[in-house]
Amino acid sequence: MTAPVQQTTDSALVERMKAGDESALSTLYDRYSAMLFGLLMRILKEREAAEEVLQDLFLQLWRNAGQFDASRGSLPAWLMVMGRNRAISRLRGRRDREVMEEKEGDYANTFASAQNVEDDASRAELARSLTAALATLPAEQRQALELAYFEGMTQSEIAARTGTPLGTVKTRVRTAMQSLRQLL
Amino acid sequence: MTEQHANPEDFDLYALGALDGDEKQRFEAHLRSCAACGQQLAAARQHTALLGLSAEPVNPPPHVKSSLMEKVKAEGVATAKKSVPETPKKIRWGLRFSLGFGLATAVLAIATFELAKQDLERGKQMKQLEAQVAQDTVAMQAMGQVAGAPDTSMTTLLEQAGEPPGQAHVMYNARMGMAVYSGQIAPAPADKSYQLWLVPASGAPVSAGLVAPNQESGIVVVHVTPGMVAKAFAVTMEPLGGEPQPTGPKVLIGVVSS
Repeated sequence: MTAPVQQTTDSALVERMKAGDESALSTLYDRYSAMLFGLLMRILKEREAAEEVLQDLFLQLWRNAGQFDASRGSLPAWLMVMGRNRAISRLRGRRDREVMEEKEGDYANTFASAQNVEDDASRAELARSLTAALATLPAEQRQALELAYFEGMTQSEIAARTGTPLGTVKTRVRTAMQSLRQLL
Repeated sequence: MTEQHANPEDFDLYALGALDGDEKQRFEAHLRSCAACGQQLAAARQHTALLGLSAEPVNPPPHVKSSLMEKVKAEGVATAKKSVPETPKKIRWGLRFSLGFGLATAVLAIATFELAKQDLERGKQMKQLEAQVAQDTVAMQAMGQVAGAPDTSMTTLLEQAGEPPGQAHVMYNARMGMAVYSGQIAPAPADKSYQLWLVPASGAPVSAGLVAPNQESGIVVVHVTPGMVAKAFAVTMEPLGGEPQPTGPKVLIGVVSS
């Protein structure tokens, strides 16, 4: 019986990128592009825009590999956070929203991940668990969460969109996240 | 007296970027002085970050990767050539400081490399020096491109009251999606980093990378999404390694003149 092939770790690939190894970037692209492109398509809903953000994201990774500190967290989590931030920024800009102050739009961000999402199988399993957990949430809770995460809406915007009191939106988001934590 | 912590509902909302208005300001103000709430927020962020996994994976078309790798390869070739870019025929006012500073530091870096090369025996140190020279060469090339373009803007970033002293300049070309930062700031505390932000005309600030005050060249070339109109640039003090969105005090600010 053949032993499973050990995949090169993200941190090892990042180190190779720092040394200018383009094949390391290629490997990381193959590993995470589908995950990221799915997220970007879900947010932007435009293939061309999602392609631009995806390419920009990996270019940033290549150019700034020296700044990535693997000890602060996992690369896929970082890529997801950065990808979401960029997509949401683009989405909100497209909506001709009023000019935002410097510190607004402080979206969910982290360099750390509570789970191991580096391994393909673990990531797929986590995605299945998450999707199943989201499906168990009451529709209004899931809607509040998705409007915040995938459309970058603030609580006030969600309240206006859904015609729901602000306090109710707060409760829905909190309850939904509590449920997800328990289910995951 | 019992310490008043942040509202439990606000952690997830803030981590999602959904907290707004006065509540957000109060939350951030409290966060600056409460380590316990900071930890709670970090935990909330870890969970909200995973929500992205619920999106169905979609394979991007092959041309995205091929285009990416072409760009990467082109940058590698540019680095390997280590060629000096053509001096712009017409250097506009305000750009001389940055360009001269960049050329001088790049020459200094190359000279340092050549001298150090004779003395250093360990390969690791050699690699670090080579990487530094490569970075400076790329920076110099980028600076030449940006400085020579007629649609490049020059912004001076000034220190803010109560913050470490310093000054910086940013040359920015939205069409190219490139910015060149040069400046000096008083050293940051050991557990902090200075981070440069592009504040777009619309939308959230975009990180333009870390800017280290003790870096020999003091120059940072950053690439952002082309076409992004900047209304200002700012340097904030962030936790070591930087943050995806600004969380710390603004140390330098410069408004882009229209």
